[in-house]
Amino acid sequence: MKKISISFIFAILISMTGFAQIDRSQLPKAGPAPEINIGEAETFTLDNGLKVFVVENDKLPRVSFTLVLERDPIFEGEKAGYLGFVGQMMTAGTTNRTKDELDEEIDFIGASISASSTSMFGSSLKKHQEKVLELMTDVLYNPVFPEEELDKLKKQSLTNLAASKDDPGSISGRLTSALVYGKDHPYGEFSTEETIANIEVDDIRNYYETFYKPNIAYMAIVGDMNVSEAEDLMNQYFGDWEQGEVPTFEYTMPDGAEQTMVGLVDRSSSVQTVIDVVQPIDLTLGDENYISSRLLNQIFGGGSSGRLFQNLREDKGYTYGAYSSFSSDKLVGQFSASASVRTEVTDSAVYEFVSEIDRLLAEGVTEEELTLAKANLSGSFGRSLESPSTIANFALNMERYDLPSDYYATYLQKVNDLTVDDINATAQKLIEPDKLMITAVGNGSEIAEKLERFGEVKMFDNMGDPAREITMDASMTVEQVIANYIDAIGGMEAASAVKSAKVSMDADVMGNAITLTSVYDDENKRYAQKTSLAGNVMQSTSMVGGKGAISAQGQNIDMNEAQYNEAQMSALFIPELYYESLGYDVKLDGVKDVDGVDAYKVIVTNSDGAYLTNYYAVESGLKIKNENPKSGDTVYSEYEETNGLLVPMLWTITSPAIPVPLAAKITSLEINPTLTDADFN
Amino acid sequence: MRKSTFLGLLAFLMTLPVLAQKKIEFKEFTLDNGLHVIMHKDNSTPIVITSVLYHVGSKNENPERTGFAHFFEHLMFEGSENIERGQYMKIIESRGGTLNAFTSNDITYYYEILPSNELELALYMESERMLHSKVDMTGVETQREVVKEEYRQRYENQPYGTILLETLKRAYTDHPYRWAPIGSLDHLNAAKIEEFQQFYNDFYVPNNATLTIAGDIDYKQTEDWVKQYFTEIPKGTKEIYRPNVTEAKKTEEVRDIIYDNIQIPAVIQAYNVPPRNHPDSYAMSMLSTYLTGGNSSLMTKELVDKQQKALALAAIPYELEDGGIFLMYGITNMGVEPEALETEIDKLIKQVQDEGISDRDFEKLQNIIENNIVSGNSTVEGIALNLAESHVIFGDTDYINQTMDKYSQVTKADLQRVAKEYLNLEGRVVLYYLPKAEETTTEE
Repeated sequence: MKKISISFIFAILISMTGFAQIDRSQLPKAGPAPEINIGEAETFTLDNGLKVFVVENDKLPRVSFTLVLERDPIFEGEKAGYLGFVGQMMTAGTTNRTKDELDEEIDFIGASISASSTSMFGSSLKKHQEKVLELMTDVLYNPVFPEEELDKLKKQSLTNLAASKDDPGSISGRLTSALVYGKDHPYGEFSTEETIANIEVDDIRNYYETFYKPNIAYMAIVGDMNVSEAEDLMNQYFGDWEQGEVPTFEYTMPDGAEQTMVGLVDRSSSVQTVIDVVQPIDLTLGDENYISSRLLNQIFGGGSSGRLFQNLREDKGYTYGAYSSFSSDKLVGQFSASASVRTEVTDSAVYEFVSEIDRLLAEGVTEEELTLAKANLSGSFGRSLESPSTIANFALNMERYDLPSDYYATYLQKVNDLTVDDINATAQKLIEPDKLMITAVGNGSEIAEKLERFGEVKMFDNMGDPAREITMDASMTVEQVIANYIDAIGGMEAASAVKSAKVSMDADVMGNAITLTSVYDDENKRYAQKTSLAGNVMQSTSMVGGKGAISAQGQNIDMNEAQYNEAQMSALFIPELYYESLGYDVKLDGVKDVDGVDAYKVIVTNSDGAYLTNYYAVESGLKIKNENPKSGDTVYSEYEETNGLLVPMLWTITSPAIPVPLAAKITSLEINPTLTDADFN
Repeated sequence: MRKSTFLGLLAFLMTLPVLAQKKIEFKEFTLDNGLHVIMHKDNSTPIVITSVLYHVGSKNENPERTGFAHFFEHLMFEGSENIERGQYMKIIESRGGTLNAFTSNDITYYYEILPSNELELALYMESERMLHSKVDMTGVETQREVVKEEYRQRYENQPYGTILLETLKRAYTDHPYRWAPIGSLDHLNAAKIEEFQQFYNDFYVPNNATLTIAGDIDYKQTEDWVKQYFTEIPKGTKEIYRPNVTEAKKTEEVRDIIYDNIQIPAVIQAYNVPPRNHPDSYAMSMLSTYLTGGNSSLMTKELVDKQQKALALAAIPYELEDGGIFLMYGITNMGVEPEALETEIDKLIKQVQDEGISDRDFEKLQNIIENNIVSGNSTVEGIALNLAESHVIFGDTDYINQTMDKYSQVTKADLQRVAKEYLNLEGRVVLYYLPKAEETTTEE
């Protein structure tokens, strides 16, 4: 009874306020636009020149301190990489605290503190603010730059560099910076083994002593702190920070390409090509093209609604994503349009990139696209205001880019006022369609020729340096390359006398000894291999009687037929002798530069389509490198004679399974040993 | 000695009052059709988040039809009777908004963040989804393809991407937590359109949903609009299916090897833990911070910094409504065998079980937790989710204001106790992730 009456009353209420009458076929209209109040930062400057911004926000009892150094970019030259070490070296201990003590004290109050060559950051709850400032200033005033920390950083850096040399994304990044900025520009240089080795503690210390100065610094305080409290604390902790003269540097604007060209890095194991179409642009935050370039990018390739994504992914299915960017910078910015695509569609994808650029410049953007882009940009601007650090960034930007004081207050108005013509003018101003640098990192023998229609194809190595141009004697054949190799290792007689071999190799992995043993029975097509660490077998492979198995960590896995056939290609001591009888297809693919040595590139493919690549030195005839798309690359060196046969004693193995190259030395080698079934178990 | 203890105690007493959280104010009401509505007003930024939490996750699925809950997270953007296919996202974006959704083992959560003058639009869009979403063959077929791509991207292609899948499979034998939200592509392929429609009718009903609105709003206006758009949605006719399965305590270790597209091996350990709203959850969460949170944490300092056996280590409480898992993973350093790393991890777990933790470390933990809780409610997006989960999982929306209290009740002795009780070496799951290269190809 009661229930009924309640719902009855409710029904009356509903009809009275007209809830039932809504028209669901129409989208609700927006209410009156809310007023967007962009909070302002309060500013003061200490006597030593440190300029402080305070964005008070007491919603939560926490506070953050961001110190930024505003200096010109530095060309590091033969010490390239040292700037990247400065931050970690500073937080690696002070005259008052070891690294352990520092870590412990930071964690103890639930705070975080970090540093880089141009910034320092600290944050915590309000009640721990003084402790954070004490720790931050200890790092700022008293770093000790321990030698062992530098050694650790250098080691990590070398590991990363080794891994990055085979990483298509890193290779592409180096190539585009080298092309866009030039290697003599701070944005176009990068560290190498040599430059990392050159870095000394004094380089870091000198940098710190020269550039960590209050007169080029800004401090942004965000959170639960008012300006008078900030003034007291800043004077207390940063008042004694001493000024110093800081050098300035100038760089010329990079020229870019004279005409559209293609920069290609041959990475023969690639199944995807990393494409990046780039160009230097003159674009700085706050200049007349800046805001329109944000809208332009949104329309062209800013996200999943962008033209590039819609065309290359949604329409053509070439890639998982295609995007563009117009980066801004005081010195020089960059336009980029990029995607990773399947090898087979590389030239088609480049064609679409170029066509989209041409279409953008010829036809411009539409009113509809612009409306959507404006809604997008305004919406994300509005959402960004929730974070108080956005206001601090605005204040910093106004200072660093000398923006008018109402720049952000009128930002949305400026976005709204832009027209289709404005966006098109910005596109015309920024993009030079006949001077594109089209970069590609992928399987050169598959894509090089097809890319010629877009411009001159220049080859580069994995460090962004031009690859040496090598021409091959046109009369050379693949049969001759292999015959030369057999001659070089001792002649057909000596080579074919080798029926089997037992090889044992040692390698050192960060202090741990790894032993690799292999037994090759080329005559009977048997093979066994073991990898052991400190006497324990980590992994082993055996191939006997047309069957193969791999065991690792106590598990045994049988190979299927295709896996067996593919493994067979790497399971022979002198595989060249058996290419014909195994029905492999061998192809000569020109002369390449292999770490400074000219070598014939030979691609070996089995009947399933699995392939590997061998390189034979032009001069010596010897095999100097093997590339296997599955298990990695092996460089052969230190050939020595044994049983009338030349055998490489040092095998340097790079593989996706190991983070650093493995230098394996042959410790024992038996030719035609007595083999029993036990050798293959 | 005595003095320092006294000072420690004093410091602890002094910090206590400050441990109180900044209170999150809210208003709530329930419509006749069972829809629960929570509102939180914060006018400091002119944005508003509108979210709907459906209390359905992968655990509510039929074991023969896994992946449904997550599949719906995709299907529910296909449109409704009044919103054309593919337009849902475009409409939100064209009004300057952004949207997203996620599915867990327990819940499915949708939200959009818009300029605050677009709140009515957001309510309309969510009410369309609840009232009459399109569940048809075209949508199902389109989204099947997308989910396949997602599977490739997030699980197959992602290094260590299958950790959760492989762990859940072994950590549960009876409970439907044994499958992950992504479920089975085969099940999705086999399902008929009627089954999808049934799932929508069963779970996408107002009495299984919580609507949360947080940001620059007016309470009265918001309530009026909510009633206007949601009152007409009929209440579900059936009782919502919720599995009533208690996972038996494991007495034997489950141990396996997974070959993945990775370069560096990893060791995974998983321990079953009590339901999310159990008091011991707070102690387990503090324990995870003690083990791997921050540079100075026990395992990070010992195994990453000093012994350099691991590149990275993490202990993650994967908390679930019916009892989740305490997941630990360690990525080995160069040339370190997974066994060697596992031995050291076990030694440290043993150390906590036998010796407990020091006063100073306990105080450190409280400070870190406090910092995390305070920072946790810094955006309306985070507040909306916390409010909704407080209501649904913890049965009290005001739970959002009690988190710090609950943590304050955990004692130092509790940490040692839960380490002993739950980190049971005999009833755990241990997985080694090894590079695929070791499985299918020969090393020269």
